Amino acid sequence: MSDSTDKLVDDYLDRLEQELANFPAARRRELVQEISGHIAEARAALDDETEADVRNLLDRIGDPADIAAEAGMGAQAQATPPPPAPVQAPARARGSGWDVVALVMLLIGGLILPVIGWFIGVVLLWISETWSTGEKLLGTLLVPGGLALPLFLLTVGTSANSCGGDVGGPITCTGGNGTGSVAVAVLVIALFVVPIAVVAYLARRRSQVAVPT
Amino acid sequence: MVSGQDALLSQMRRGTLQYCVLSLLDTEERYGFDLVRALAEQDGMVTSEGTIYPLLSRLRRDGLVESNWQESTSGPPRRYYRLTEGGRSALQAFRVEWRRFRDAVDHFVERTAAQ
Repeated sequence: MSDSTDKLVDDYLDRLEQELANFPAARRRELVQEISGHIAEARAALDDETEADVRNLLDRIGDPADIAAEAGMGAQAQATPPPPAPVQAPARARGSGWDVVALVMLLIGGLILPVIGWFIGVVLLWISETWSTGEKLLGTLLVPGGLALPLFLLTVGTSANSCGGDVGGPITCTGGNGTGSVAVAVLVIALFVVPIAVVAYLARRRSQVAVPT
Repeated sequence: MVSGQDALLSQMRRGTLQYCVLSLLDTEERYGFDLVRALAEQDGMVTSEGTIYPLLSRLRRDGLVESNWQESTSGPPRRYYRLTEGGRSALQAFRVEWRRFRDAVDHFVERTAAQ
């Protein structure tokens, strides 16, 4: 055992630590601990350790990047390009399907089943592991009811805008005068655009999220 | 060898390696280095020894193996792995399927080679 071989091992473990930087601390600790234990056992089995011995030993253990790739199994980064359709955890695949249902129900659930449909979307959104809490809040608050809300307002608004008058009396109109109706129109358009944009954003986030294992 | 074939072999190794690990733990508990040495003795089974450890970690998190630390006479404590009941039944199920699959492939591949 010499300083130069110790340094080889230390450098190797440092690189492993870096490659595993994106993993939870407990996983990283476990893997580094096990592999450093492996190195110690292998070195102890050598009679008269040379630098070449240690290099061979580290080569056999493999590139830290390969070990990290194996740890992130299902993810890309293989030494050899794997064929398509990597093995996915069933729970994850199921979750993905429900994610789509969540987004659809958030947007138009309220039209299929008034109020309840949107609530189903919210529940699915919150039990999903795909989105962050912030994104879930966004999906819930913008806009409650999804597209059902502006459609509802539009229906109410149109009927409120009706004009009527007694026979012989002055014609009276309720609502729909000047600036008020413009503001309502802008609001209703916004209520259409915002939920669509939010759902589109959540769908994009979903496709970006790397598959965690 | 053609690169597509390399990729296939690597996938086959990858898919079966965990059952080789479970089989090694079927009769006795082992620590990591011991397991890796036993696997590496078979030519073509392990290309980089370090990748066994993420596999062991996953098997542990999936509840197929469990581990505990034991003192070693020759150095620091070692983490020993052993099969759980779940691991045992997964291994048993794989053995049945593997024999069927192996026989079916042999039926075609070996017959053609013999002609």
